[in-house]
Amino acid sequence: MHDHDLDRRTFVQRTGATTGILALAGCLGTDGDDEDEDRDDPDNGDDAEMPRFPEIDDPPAAVYRPTHRESMRMLEPITAGEYTLAPMLSYPHPFWLITGGTGEDDVERVDPEQGRGVHLMITLWDDDTGIVLPVDTSATIRIFQDGDQIGSPQSPWPMISQEMGFHFGDNVPLEDDGTYTVEVELPPIPTHTTGDLEGRFTDSETATFEFEYDQAFRDQVVGGVEYLDESEWGERGALEPMDHGRDDGQHGDDHDDDGHHHDNGHVPDSALPSAEAYPGTRLEPTDGVDTDLPRSGDAAVLVTLLEAGSRLADGDEQYLLVSPRTPYNRVPLADMAMSVTVDREGEPVGDADGVALEQTIDSEYDLHYGASLPALQPGDSVTVTIESPPQVARHQGYETAFLEMPSLEFTVPEESDA
Amino acid sequence: MTLPDRSALSRRDYLRTLVAIGGATALSACVSESGAVDVPTGTDDPESLPARQHAWNDVLSRDDDGNVQSPEHHVLLPLSLVDEPTDAARAQVEDALRTLERAYEWSNEGLVFTIGYTPAYFDRFDDSLPESVALPEPAALTAAENPVFDEFDAVLHLASDHSQVVLEAEEGLFGDHDDLNGIAVETDLTGVFERLEEQRRSGFVGAGLPAEHTDVSGVPDSVPEDAPFFMGFRSGFIDSQATEDRVTIEDGPFAGATTQHIESLETQLRTWLEQDSHPMRVRKLFSPEHADEELVGDVGEKLTTTNGLTDERIDATEADARDGVVGHAQKAARGRIDGEPPLLRRDFNTVDGDRPGVHFLSLQHGIDEFVRVREAMTGADLDVGNANNGILSYIFVDRRGNYLLPPRSLRALPPTNPQ
Repeated sequence: MHDHDLDRRTFVQRTGATTGILALAGCLGTDGDDEDEDRDDPDNGDDAEMPRFPEIDDPPAAVYRPTHRESMRMLEPITAGEYTLAPMLSYPHPFWLITGGTGEDDVERVDPEQGRGVHLMITLWDDDTGIVLPVDTSATIRIFQDGDQIGSPQSPWPMISQEMGFHFGDNVPLEDDGTYTVEVELPPIPTHTTGDLEGRFTDSETATFEFEYDQAFRDQVVGGVEYLDESEWGERGALEPMDHGRDDGQHGDDHDDDGHHHDNGHVPDSALPSAEAYPGTRLEPTDGVDTDLPRSGDAAVLVTLLEAGSRLADGDEQYLLVSPRTPYNRVPLADMAMSVTVDREGEPVGDADGVALEQTIDSEYDLHYGASLPALQPGDSVTVTIESPPQVARHQGYETAFLEMPSLEFTVPEESDA
Repeated sequence: MTLPDRSALSRRDYLRTLVAIGGATALSACVSESGAVDVPTGTDDPESLPARQHAWNDVLSRDDDGNVQSPEHHVLLPLSLVDEPTDAARAQVEDALRTLERAYEWSNEGLVFTIGYTPAYFDRFDDSLPESVALPEPAALTAAENPVFDEFDAVLHLASDHSQVVLEAEEGLFGDHDDLNGIAVETDLTGVFERLEEQRRSGFVGAGLPAEHTDVSGVPDSVPEDAPFFMGFRSGFIDSQATEDRVTIEDGPFAGATTQHIESLETQLRTWLEQDSHPMRVRKLFSPEHADEELVGDVGEKLTTTNGLTDERIDATEADARDGVVGHAQKAARGRIDGEPPLLRRDFNTVDGDRPGVHFLSLQHGIDEFVRVREAMTGADLDVGNANNGILSYIFVDRRGNYLLPPRSLRALPPTNPQ
């Protein structure tokens, strides 16, 4: 336990935390915001020290570096039918829910109801292709202790985080220390799938795993929090994705004896392929951009036109593939609604209201939004309209991005002979 | 059965807990707690009662807006036949049910009840049900659910504003209780039916009642004080409900009957009430426009006799989905037939199993109409993520059952082709 104590002291030194009430809001110059002060009232009343979640004043409407790296415990991945799931546990922490995305009531910060408990995360991937499945599966989670169900069933939120990419998660309050059993029901995935994924994920599966909730766990995940230098907080940028092959934090072999710490093999990253990996004719942003890919709401948006005959296209049409991803980490942005309109010499081609792009997971190109279109011609103007931004919950650093997402205009380049 | 700790509960909560437990001990505890409740007696003249078992609306109380108020206490008693139906058994069932009608006024102050029969019950007969009755076997209605089906024979639904009435009626029919509100029980249901106590269900509805259950695991303290339902809002608006006429089978040998679907579900109230904001809940339960235009109020008090779903709001469902979020009631209203809601909801809250839930009891002309509305509510056709698809990610279906509620004249062990 010596190391844990050391870690906790380190944590205290880094953050100025004491075991009592901590007026971090004051240190950070966020006085006057009553809501913030409420949030800094510890609601613990027990020994579950929680990390502090300082507010960042006026973060950019873009991806930004949060205050800290989250620390978590990786559990052994488990298989269920076609799937493998990697459970991860951290301390309960704030996240943001999205309903819509452009109005003032559309984004809601969710604070943990209590300090005792876990932030439960699950990464779900296809065993055959290794593709992390960025879909809202309407999974159901039930938690048991000594055979008795704790609380009600719940559907974890689809979420994105700079460190974990796409995952499912929620804060789960727990009262007592002990062993908990988690049952995850996965219904068939309704999302359109293509390539080697076509016709897959049609069965319901159930996976079960256990975890230990105790002081050693709390010491590990709370003590493992790494605060960034305050000068970095709110700077544009993102944390590196975590190394999924090991526990986060510097705890070495502390947990060999509880069966949770081990080399649990490779948990795939949800990152999309880099832009160069996509075939077809990359459409040119009409307004020059200084980034590799054009941005909307700070999302990087790859738009490529696959030639007629592509396996993704209907008949002899072309296929417009739109792949929005987070900047820096290429996390797929799921549950968006998008449509496309085409203009030729100022006149709309086809449906002036646009063609809806269908959310699709492909074995090669992963999550994207696509539609088959009649042959485009060089010089055609293609407008991608974002009807709703990604309806996925956000960890800190993503909650101010991908909300207001203006449409993007492209031109079919001259060399397109697709 | 262990009784709850009296000192740990409010009086009303204690009474509701007794209803959930049931049995003679609970009844006696309930009587000693309630003291002498003056319950109006019933009638010796069966002809004075409505021909339809489901004719409740005329005798239930109304709220200030004129909406029918559901009785406060409900029990669903699953029943299994002991032997095959005979004329003697039919006479016994009818006598037993008439005893209830003599003992209690047909009202929320007394007792209202129905007895419904499952497809499994009717399977024993050589003939099938007439075409005028649409009563299929229950089935899973979404890809995400894996419910247990009600495959016993019948269910008795007892409802009253007095907890001791529902308990006493049950004990009169199956227990040792031989006096119901001053009426001697000469005939009960024992020997014809067995109670399936493991599957007994109970519940409650009424402003403030859900908020009294915060001692139950999964019911957060944030349940709104005045909410009549766990989800925090009023429902059952009269203009958003089918009329009793609308749900009644008019033709054939079962004229005067209706069908009943019981969907028993668990609800995730912690995320609903602690994580989603009030505007988010209004969007997900009603429609985005309900939230944007503040049509609902804290617990639905601004909605008077309708859930506020105009044709325009219903037509906007697909577009709202593409904008990111769509309302539960908005989606379900797409199941209206010629502009009319086909379902008459008589759902109630429950803490069966010590977890919050709903027994979604619905009457409709045929089960196909329930399926139509449920599919519209599920919204598998909509381009929206599960988390923002109405309240789908907060409800978990455990059981489904389909029933025929015959007219009163055929309520005692009906054959499939009554003359």
